Amino acid sequence: MELLISNLLHGFGVAISFQNLSFALLGALIGTAIGVLPGIGPVATISLLLPITFGLPATTAIIMLAGIYYGAQYGGSTTAILLNLPGEVSSVVTTLEGYKMARNGRAGAALATAALGSFFAGTVATILVAASGPMLTQVALSFGPADYFSLMLLGLIIACVLAQGSIVKAVGMVVLGVALGLVGTDVQTGQQRFTFGIPELSDGIGFVPIAMGMFGIAEIILNLERPESRSVLSTKVGQLWLTKEEFKRATPSVLRGTVVGSFLGILPGGGASLAAFGSYMMERKVSRGKHLFGQGAIEGVAGPEAANNAAAQTSFIPLLTLGIPSNAVMALMVGALIIQGIQPGPRMVEAQPDLFWGLIASMWLGNLMLLVINLPMIGMWVKLLQVPYRFLYPSILVFCCIGVYSLNNNVFDVYMTVLFTVFGYVCNKLKMEPAPLLIGFVLGPMMEEHLRRAMLLSRGDWSVFIQRPISATMLGIAAFALILMALPTIRKGKEKAMAE
Amino acid sequence: MVQTWRRRAILGGSLALPVLARAQGAAPAWPSQPIRLVVPFAPGGTTDLVARLVATPLQEKLGQPIIVENRPGAGATVGSLLVAQAPPDGHTLVLSNIASHAISPTLYGNIRYDPLRDFSHIALLTLNPSVFVANPRTGIANLADLARLHRQRGLDMASSGSGSSNHLLIVKMGGLLGREINHIPFRGAGPAMTAVIGGQVPLMSDSLPSAAAHIRQGSVTAVAMSSAERHPSFPNVPTFREQGYDVVASSWFGLSGPANLPRPIVDRLAREVGTILDSDSTRMRFAEIGGSPGRFSPEEYAAFVASEVALWGPLVRETGARPD
Repeated sequence: MELLISNLLHGFGVAISFQNLSFALLGALIGTAIGVLPGIGPVATISLLLPITFGLPATTAIIMLAGIYYGAQYGGSTTAILLNLPGEVSSVVTTLEGYKMARNGRAGAALATAALGSFFAGTVATILVAASGPMLTQVALSFGPADYFSLMLLGLIIACVLAQGSIVKAVGMVVLGVALGLVGTDVQTGQQRFTFGIPELSDGIGFVPIAMGMFGIAEIILNLERPESRSVLSTKVGQLWLTKEEFKRATPSVLRGTVVGSFLGILPGGGASLAAFGSYMMERKVSRGKHLFGQGAIEGVAGPEAANNAAAQTSFIPLLTLGIPSNAVMALMVGALIIQGIQPGPRMVEAQPDLFWGLIASMWLGNLMLLVINLPMIGMWVKLLQVPYRFLYPSILVFCCIGVYSLNNNVFDVYMTVLFTVFGYVCNKLKMEPAPLLIGFVLGPMMEEHLRRAMLLSRGDWSVFIQRPISATMLGIAAFALILMALPTIRKGKEKAMAE
Repeated sequence: MVQTWRRRAILGGSLALPVLARAQGAAPAWPSQPIRLVVPFAPGGTTDLVARLVATPLQEKLGQPIIVENRPGAGATVGSLLVAQAPPDGHTLVLSNIASHAISPTLYGNIRYDPLRDFSHIALLTLNPSVFVANPRTGIANLADLARLHRQRGLDMASSGSGSSNHLLIVKMGGLLGREINHIPFRGAGPAMTAVIGGQVPLMSDSLPSAAAHIRQGSVTAVAMSSAERHPSFPNVPTFREQGYDVVASSWFGLSGPANLPRPIVDRLAREVGTILDSDSTRMRFAEIGGSPGRFSPEEYAAFVASEVALWGPLVRETGARPD
């Protein structure tokens, strides 16, 4: 414990130098800006800025890049709440309740919840990274393909169980999402599936075109259709800060989200994207405001926002302790470190204590800065909603197009966005929720990959899923959730039978 | 297209402002505008890293900003096709590599470019050997251990993906051992390495740049290196040949442009790239990622690409992997 404190103090000593502090601030500012611009993600920005970091000391470079990463997370939730535009997998969930809150005139409260919840979760997760990073890595390493498969299956089943409205439609959307996720090159055999000979499809359909089309742009079309709802938005900005009641409701959700996010963030590959989904599902089931879900429940913003920020921090654990990047942003950071002549890995803690502890300290400082940047700006963001739609919508569309294009520097992605906009509009008219589709889209291909890998390793023996304790537990919970879903239907059936 | 190109040019240009100012006096005929260097892979990978390592000094020498443009997709063929179809004026180049120019043309049947005829190959930038690594708990320290265990119970081996050169090496090794190795493909080297360190898969065939750190740390044991001679950074790791298996293979990265690039431009580029490759800072950086700088004339590089197509094509066909 004393060692931890002295290490952290050392880290703060490094992070608080003028240069490091200003680059952390610069990173946070750039990150917030790109997070707010739909579609321009941290991956594109960091790769563009990578050459600049060659000239900086390694610690400063990595502190700035990390700042961009968190900043983008914060900025992404801003557009998700205000405009229903999720820029990243993790902010899809924020749109569900956050955008509803904004429509109810509680945009300020939603933004404040997101900022405070993220800060709290970030603080806890930073301490966790500092205190038990190496130990947690062992947990992540013990997850085999069978365990991942069962974890993701559980995620999908819960997504169906807890969907709003019709279960049949939700299952349909999940399955459709899985099918869309399977487009592209098969990881196991290298065969192309459902690509119709289009080379751009051989790497699959992008997440951003689907999310942006089905959520953001489809929503714009729907808004244009209903003139009355526009006046609601522009007149009722509402009180900016959280009410006492809202604060009380959000607190437990933030705590739960922090736990879920910290754990799932450690799992390399997909863990972090599960965090926000996982927390949302949990809040719908256990929070006090669960009956308000679908109408703008603050719990549905607080939990997932805390979860995704906690996961963003803990996803550094595999990178710092093993040298293994858990997502594309982390892969870029490895690149940046290698160019600086530093090999990330278990020995980094001893070999580069300045870098390791400085980065951890700057994670927290970065989060603090984001809070300081974002809280006063809430008023300004909310005013954005009062911009007349004839200016706001065309600008959103332009930024979306730029963002989508810059993903692969390819117009094809823009066409895909148009396609999914139309599809999203139709789905909305048919009262089909896009969120289960996205969950299926994200989890489906990963699930398939892990399933087939587990089968390859077991030489076709299905019993691995029950023999491994982690996998067996997950499957047990999934079965329980299915029974829970079936029960009310059975009961209703009984009631019907009794009535007759 | 033109619009965004300009936006990127401005972004890239702002990074290279001092360079521009210096070049104004000379005003050579080429390069007369920013040069677009297409990287046919996503940012963050080895290909991207190599491109950025070379682009930074190269733009100073040429006096025009070089904009690294990532155009990933379809085994690096989307970006390569773009360059094959670009005007041969020296303002559009591609980071040619083993995937785009040796493996994918056979792997993907419907490629609309010829890796030799549709390009002017300029310079080889770097060569990286592959390495077989094992989880230390498996006790596999050399190919003899590997062969013995494989005969006993059949081994699993991970790779960064189906159709990658690392996968093809697994196929080749299986052929030499007389029994197929159970290939476990992953989506990239990172997840595959995690599985090996975590003990989910005992072995992996990986490119040296991504495996180097893990070998140095001892989290995995290097079993055999696919270079012709021992690698200077890893003098303790024996080659396949030393251990009695005739496997010599490297993944490589080079600079190419569209076919019929004017000879003066090719020569100028080859000369500048040569100086960059000879510089100590480049050598050091390439050594850090486990590669050695290549030193080929344009003709030698073109002949090298041709020999690689001939080398990998049959192996790809052997795997039966044939998207579409």
